[in-house]
Amino acid sequence: MSTSAPRPQATEPPELRVQEVTVRFAGLTALDDVSFTVSPGSVHALIGPNGAGKSTCFNVLSGLCRPASGTVRLGDAELTRLAPHRIAALGVARTFQNIVTTEGTVADNLMLGRHVHSRAGFAASALRLPRAVREQREHLAKAREIAELTGLERHFDTPVALLSYGDRKRVEFARALCLEPSVLLLDEPVAGMNAAERARTAETVRDVRAELGLSVVLVEHDMGLVMRLADEVTVLDFGRRIAHGTPDEVRGDPEVLRAYLGTETPQEDVA
Amino acid sequence: MSEPTARTRALHWGRRVLPLLLLCVLPFYLDAFWLRIGLFSLAAAIGAVGLGLLTGTAGQLSLGHAFFLAVGAYGYVWLAGEPGPGLPPVLALVLAVLLAGAAGGLFSPVAGRVRGIYLGVATLALVFLGHHVLLTADSVTGGFNGRSVPPLPGFTDSDPQLVLLGVPFGAAERLWYLGLALFALTWFTACGLLRGRPGRALTALRDSETAASVMGVHVARYRSTAFVVSSMYAGLAGVLLALAFRRVVPDYFALALSVDYLAMIVIGGLGSVAGATAGAVFVTALPLLMTRYADQLPLVAAPGAADGVVGPTEAARYLYGAAIVLVLLYTPDGLRGLTRRLRTRRRLERPPATATSSREPTPAVRPKEHTP
Repeated sequence: MSTSAPRPQATEPPELRVQEVTVRFAGLTALDDVSFTVSPGSVHALIGPNGAGKSTCFNVLSGLCRPASGTVRLGDAELTRLAPHRIAALGVARTFQNIVTTEGTVADNLMLGRHVHSRAGFAASALRLPRAVREQREHLAKAREIAELTGLERHFDTPVALLSYGDRKRVEFARALCLEPSVLLLDEPVAGMNAAERARTAETVRDVRAELGLSVVLVEHDMGLVMRLADEVTVLDFGRRIAHGTPDEVRGDPEVLRAYLGTETPQEDVA
Repeated sequence: MSEPTARTRALHWGRRVLPLLLLCVLPFYLDAFWLRIGLFSLAAAIGAVGLGLLTGTAGQLSLGHAFFLAVGAYGYVWLAGEPGPGLPPVLALVLAVLLAGAAGGLFSPVAGRVRGIYLGVATLALVFLGHHVLLTADSVTGGFNGRSVPPLPGFTDSDPQLVLLGVPFGAAERLWYLGLALFALTWFTACGLLRGRPGRALTALRDSETAASVMGVHVARYRSTAFVVSSMYAGLAGVLLALAFRRVVPDYFALALSVDYLAMIVIGGLGSVAGATAGAVFVTALPLLMTRYADQLPLVAAPGAADGVVGPTEAARYLYGAAIVLVLLYTPDGLRGLTRRLRTRRRLERPPATATSSREPTPAVRPKEHTP
């Protein structure tokens, strides 16, 4: 962990409240009356078998998908009516299940994360006005700080295309952190990683949560990680919420076992 | 983006100032023919940089570039000439660029919403519309025969007479410096844009609209602004072309011109200022050079020769058609990618001064994970 000072967090992050959200895609109900609340500063895991609606739920939270009914509130702000870039400006950052980075170096990608915190427009950048140059320099320093926090400082000037899979996942994670979010949505942050990388990512998530005091919503199939990191777990199956509670409560829930294993007399634990 | 030392900074500036100095002394050694080629190349480069910003960086195809060149060129002619308000030419130049930007802005409801190749089809309409207006609005555009271009004061052959170091400075020499100054401005602003916040946002838009929007980029606004900026560069290129041609005619601003500009940025390499410039020089200078040296080239007839043979202009078109195919096949990132690769190879052949690869070893055997 770097020695960078934690961001002065005047207030704790606002509560994220998902209420009775329903999403339909031409006859298929991807989310059916789903509600949950992410309490400030907690890690909330969203789990469920493939096709349960976890990624759809993330798309609703980040404004990429508009629900048929229901509301998502961040503090006092109603998110379902806002465009994605407005939601980002409110402090909701996300990563993607399939890595979505842009061309250029790690620095370029992280600087994209600083977009909402910077102001230089077309004219100021074209004319390289002093304030645009200064702003760029300040945000580059901040991006470097976040690269150190996520263990990317060695790759800061490396083109993203040359990085390993795990490192590219980390770039996405760092880019989301560059937004200085109050709510961080992580879509399968450790999928495809080896055990060492998984452990490292889990540690980073825990660290940034502690250091920056943000809320984390986590979609993940790695149950070990979920059980270690999460404060609360919501289980989805076929778009419905089938269970909710602390990791220990969810682990023993018969509905969850049925959803994951498909039998009435489960032999194994949830895994 | 490492911290620049004094030496790298000196190198950095040297690399920029030296070529500029070199370009500045050219009029003392080259005759008007070469300077005209240079001037057309500079004008094309300005337009190509603008299109590169839109198509290469923001990923928005435009076939309407000829339209905005025409707006710039005719805007200047009308604003500075008779019939027209007869404004001072310098003011007319600035207003013509703004006019082209405004024309792009009028199109922004489309440009902001329509993505990639679909925008290409939408902008196609602009070229035909523009061409039709140029032909029919006689009072403003002069119709089929076009209009003569009012010169910028001080950029004519004999007003005032000028002889520097024994070299008579005619219109070609003076316009060369104007072109150079405008191109330098284009280079400076475009690089600033690309390396700054807007450039990153546009690159993100091109690579993934979804990622860009969740990172806070206002998709429609950035798309339409990129279109406006690109139109303004096209307008500037149009004014310079008008000054170089001394006469504007509608047939020049046809679809083929838009395609030429696309060829420039593809050959040069999408998304880079230097690439667009190189492509512009290639596409512009090739037909002119082939016309000049037609009698010395095999398989190419002199201009005006009997039909059944390939004239220099067609030959040039075949050549850059072939260049596009070769570029797309072998170096999809254009001349710029080619030079970058050559540079990397040269660096690799040298003994490594600093270790660059520092990937940490990953365990060979993946430990089995335990489940809770």
